Amino acid sequence: MNRMRASKDMWLWISGAALVIGLALATAGNRFAAFIIGIVFLNVLWTAGMNLLYGYTGLVSMMTAGVAGIGAYGTVKLFLDYGWSFWFAVPVSAVGAAAVGVILGLPALRLRGFYFVLSSLVIQVALTLVFIYFPQFTNGDTGITQIPRPGLWLPGFGAVDLTGPGFEIILGLLALAGVAVVYMIIRSRMGAFIIAIREDDLLAEELGIDVTRYKVMVFFISSLLMAVGGAFYAVYTGFISPRSFDVLMSMNIWLMVAFGGRGTIAGPIIGSAILVPIPFLLQELYQIKDIFYGSLIILVTVAMPAGVYGTILKWWRVRRQKQNTAVAPVAIKRMPAE
Amino acid sequence: MNEILLDARQVEKQFGGIRALASVDVQQAVGETLGMIGPNGSGKTTFVNVVSGHLSIDAGSISFAGAPISGRRPHAITRAGLTRTYQAVRVFSKLTVADNLRTTALAAGREEGVKDSHVRELIHWLELDRRLDAIAGMLTLFEQRRLELAMRLALRPKLVMLDEPVGGLSAVEITHMMKLLGELKTRYSLFVIEHTMRVIRELADRVVVLVSGQKIADGRPEEILRDERVVRNYLGSQGA
Amino acid sequence: MVDPNLLIGLSMLTTGLVLGAIFALTAAGVTIVYGCIWLPNAASGQFFLLAPLVAWSLSTAMGWSPILAVAAVLIAGLPFAYLLERLLIRRFYDVPDRNIAYFVVTLGITQILSGVFSITWGQWSDQYNIPPLAEGVVFIGPFPLPANRLIALVGALALLGALFVGLRYHRFGRALRAVFQNREAAALRGVDVQRIYLGAFLLGTSVIFAGGLLYAMAYSFDLSVAWSMGITAFAIMIVGGPGSVLGALVVGMLFGFVQAAVSVFASPTAATLSYLLAMLVILLLRPSGLFAR
Repeated sequence: MNRMRASKDMWLWISGAALVIGLALATAGNRFAAFIIGIVFLNVLWTAGMNLLYGYTGLVSMMTAGVAGIGAYGTVKLFLDYGWSFWFAVPVSAVGAAAVGVILGLPALRLRGFYFVLSSLVIQVALTLVFIYFPQFTNGDTGITQIPRPGLWLPGFGAVDLTGPGFEIILGLLALAGVAVVYMIIRSRMGAFIIAIREDDLLAEELGIDVTRYKVMVFFISSLLMAVGGAFYAVYTGFISPRSFDVLMSMNIWLMVAFGGRGTIAGPIIGSAILVPIPFLLQELYQIKDIFYGSLIILVTVAMPAGVYGTILKWWRVRRQKQNTAVAPVAIKRMPAE
Repeated sequence: MNEILLDARQVEKQFGGIRALASVDVQQAVGETLGMIGPNGSGKTTFVNVVSGHLSIDAGSISFAGAPISGRRPHAITRAGLTRTYQAVRVFSKLTVADNLRTTALAAGREEGVKDSHVRELIHWLELDRRLDAIAGMLTLFEQRRLELAMRLALRPKLVMLDEPVGGLSAVEITHMMKLLGELKTRYSLFVIEHTMRVIRELADRVVVLVSGQKIADGRPEEILRDERVVRNYLGSQGA
Repeated sequence: MVDPNLLIGLSMLTTGLVLGAIFALTAAGVTIVYGCIWLPNAASGQFFLLAPLVAWSLSTAMGWSPILAVAAVLIAGLPFAYLLERLLIRRFYDVPDRNIAYFVVTLGITQILSGVFSITWGQWSDQYNIPPLAEGVVFIGPFPLPANRLIALVGALALLGALFVGLRYHRFGRALRAVFQNREAAALRGVDVQRIYLGAFLLGTSVIFAGGLLYAMAYSFDLSVAWSMGITAFAIMIVGGPGSVLGALVVGMLFGFVQAAVSVFASPTAATLSYLLAMLVILLLRPSGLFAR
């Protein structure tokens, strides 16, 4: 059984990688389309982190963009000002950003329900203000422009050109890796525990699960994914400013997870794939992007709390259940002898 | 007398000036089934809550299996071998029965999950075999009570604290549950809060009576249920 | 001649008084809605801005007298709030943890309104002011106060007073406070809880609109007021204790003086940052103490 699943999983990831590379190569001739694909990949990575946090653990965090921002600014600082290799700067600043995220979020993680949401929002707004008012690190509201793309030297390949589709491929593989991390966590015992925490944290604790410890772990891992995404966003778009990582970004990522289907692996991917390109494709819509996303937030919350994929799954399950309703109600049997 | 399992001494708990527990002393021996009775609001559930770590105590001490547990967090107390149920049945109501049990088994360090031999025995004993794929919240109350019990027993506890295990069940179901609890009693130390006197009479080796947060009686059930003060303060009004 | 430092000090005091009264009023509106319906309105800042923007359009573009414009906005606010409650707020009354759902939904409203503002009023002007109702400066003892700010101050204090008296003595106010304290008990005593919810939402939202209008009568404003006021009102509610109108009054006044003082020495953002920190400290240090329901 397990081996069968493992090999099925393997094929899933291989075809995912093939799809990602195929998408990147297919759009290589059209920089506009390629850019949209690249941004979709980044959002898949971000939503994977948000899904772990919100979809599986039930924590609505509004400070995810701030953590991504710390990762981005940290990487750019090390990369441009200190001359580090980008590939070395990313993990260092991602771990740093996740650590900062946990330190900031740790007291808030003790709070339950709405007070956690509010605290995370307050931290997000404070981080945005920090980005604006510490221009020696961030160049303030003007932002940092013309961030160059890094080079990459791979053994066996030599120097790889990352100005073309190469970078989209990297972003795609990164997104896939992010989704795989979440998938593996969900399959593990940690996955069972965080779902238990989402469903009823008091009961989870009562069953011997160290709720705070798992919340912190989830927070750290998802912060890591956010920060890596932020770092790659910086070099991919070549421009970052405090507005790139404001509360609206936190909300949009939340929306993609909720819209696609929280607590499912495919949902956030679907959410990103549908919602990211829309403002790009309809130029007139770009103006009213906020109105569009805001309306969707309300619509999803009111009418489709399970999201697109979650709703499809439900229909499918109901249909399947209708086909085998032959299960008779259990009668009370005699006690089996001890 | 056997070795002491649960030892609560001079336990105090106040809620905004009201003494929910007033210097309560409760000792329970290994293998003993202890009943706790008392009118509504007398502090029974509060007592379970302070023992299981869901509430802090204002004064006194609680130790379990020889180690102090007051001030420790609920998950640590569970890992020390103390588990409890709730008056309102508490399971993961949106997950399947199998997932409820799997999560519990994993929390108890049994990587096999539902396939663990002990968990399978429990499933069979509590007749949940054919309900494994059902969503827990869709089960009947009695099924949910059995699932709740299976989850607690999967933790391999030293003490099971049951807060009104037959609450809301029908007469037939109560009889069935009594049989289960009777078997349980032979293998586990139980602590039972109940209003149904039949449960206490048939199950408990010893009974503690709480009234307004104070222990007013402690002894064998047949003595306690005749005790004049208990009858006046509690049983009289209950009509049991 | 008066010492200019003294003059700055005195005007700081009067500014603090005006801002404090408006903060307190707005936060009272937010806290009534949260305390009663459990609805943390993240869009309160946008509501605070919406009212004066409409009044600005009525008075400048359409040439209405400012009094008429303000009154019209206040009246039009009622059906607006009513529709919002019927179409949206009402759907969540039975949802457990509805304060999270409400928070997310009102964040959505925030996003919509700020999008609307930037493609409409944002295109028309950078700064807005409602023509003053009265010109000149009034001296209250040694305190210099422009007449339009005096009107705003008196209006805010009068509304706060009315709110206090109404909540304490009016039939509706007493029912509302009963729902604050215990929903189930109030329902058992025959209070129509859903009607109280509707009333609380209409009242709270109108009070926020009134706060915005009074602010606009006293000062010129821009679109950034929405975010800073939203944060300020929330911070006042959290620090003062959600559901506590008295807390809103005390902390609102305090924050008003802080804002006035900070604005003299540093940027207003520093004040906003200090509210954020105050809110965070309270949230983290007294997570259950102040907010236990």
